[in-house]
Amino acid sequence: MLDGTSFVVYGVIVSAISFVIIYFLTPVAIRLLEARGRVVPDAHKPNKPSIPRPAGPVIMAGIAAAELLLYAATLNSAVLAVLLTTTIAFVVGYIDDNRVLPGWFKPVALLAAAVPLVILGAHGNNLNLIFGSAFIPLLYVPLIFVIIPITGNTINSIDVLNGVGSGFVIISTIPLLASIAIFGGSPEVFLAGLPLLFGTIALYRYHRFPSRIFPGDSGTLLLGAMFGALAIAGSSEIIGVIALLPAVMNSFLFLASVKKIVEHRQVKTRPVVLLEDFKLAASQERSAPATLVRLILAEGPLCEKEIGNQIFRLAVFTALLAFASIAIQYVIFFGL
Amino acid sequence: MWAMILGVAAFLVILVAPIDTYLFDRQGDAATISIIQAAIAFALVIALVFGLSRMKRLYLQKKLGPGI
Repeated sequence: MLDGTSFVVYGVIVSAISFVIIYFLTPVAIRLLEARGRVVPDAHKPNKPSIPRPAGPVIMAGIAAAELLLYAATLNSAVLAVLLTTTIAFVVGYIDDNRVLPGWFKPVALLAAAVPLVILGAHGNNLNLIFGSAFIPLLYVPLIFVIIPITGNTINSIDVLNGVGSGFVIISTIPLLASIAIFGGSPEVFLAGLPLLFGTIALYRYHRFPSRIFPGDSGTLLLGAMFGALAIAGSSEIIGVIALLPAVMNSFLFLASVKKIVEHRQVKTRPVVLLEDFKLAASQERSAPATLVRLILAEGPLCEKEIGNQIFRLAVFTALLAFASIAIQYVIFFGL
Repeated sequence: MWAMILGVAAFLVILVAPIDTYLFDRQGDAATISIIQAAIAFALVIALVFGLSRMKRLYLQKKLGPGI
């Protein structure tokens, strides 16, 4: 068990490592990717500028360096499990960044990312349900294989506009870390979550509107899978789901519309249309899938930055709901 | 949706988690109890999905017209 001083020192070090590596390596990655022609058009801007992609390897480097140091210092198996889950999700995303793969590939391949959590026993036998916990030793393992593909793919699906993926993860991770600190029972898991928060803050510097780099599938899948792994290892599954609600809703709306797992590029009718003034409007086509952005645009056309801000406002609102849920759980578990 | 999640969580804690106590008097087989709990939880999630799907359709029809 960590003493108070070690806890603070390790916390500062792992936060600084992930932040500094991602903050200073991303510009290098931008130059390298541009030199190699690894760019994609930013479709919602005039003249569709070319933006480098993916930032996943840099995010992975920052998070892996911090988690490896934390594991070396604590030898905590949950820290190793979170790192391995994140790494496998990164590899899955990196393959998808480099090849055109069918829609089922990511959710199925992300099942592999759940394996380290099970093998290393990073999960408990109780599902934390705010009003109490359910002892489900047999059911918990299949639940892990559901949670990791969902969290990975929801962050991947919501990252459709400049800065949305990274900004959303920053906002959602704050209540998750609070829940892990209060209910997680393991300071090491809380420390393992800090590189996610601080690494993503560093990434946001370059990903925010107007983006200078896109995270790619490798970046978004690793962020989402790491979020899910922390929620599992930190006994904060439901709080994590509440914090992710806008992204979960987005995935649900899309799946409920197209009724099968497909890549967005495979959808024939786009959910939004680009107007001449570069504002986005909701598609009036009956066959267009429902997405969070289409629902936001149902009120009227908006520019890309305004939509991103609307999504952030939703994320802040659900983060507050997550904090309210933490407060309810705290009262039930510990009394007033 | 938050209220729906809290409602489902409360239902699971109050009625589904202690199913071994009031249905099997703590004598039930762990696998059988887990299957029953999983089936109830799965049915709840399906109901939640149908409810959300209905809400989504109503919202889109209200905002974008009845053809959606």
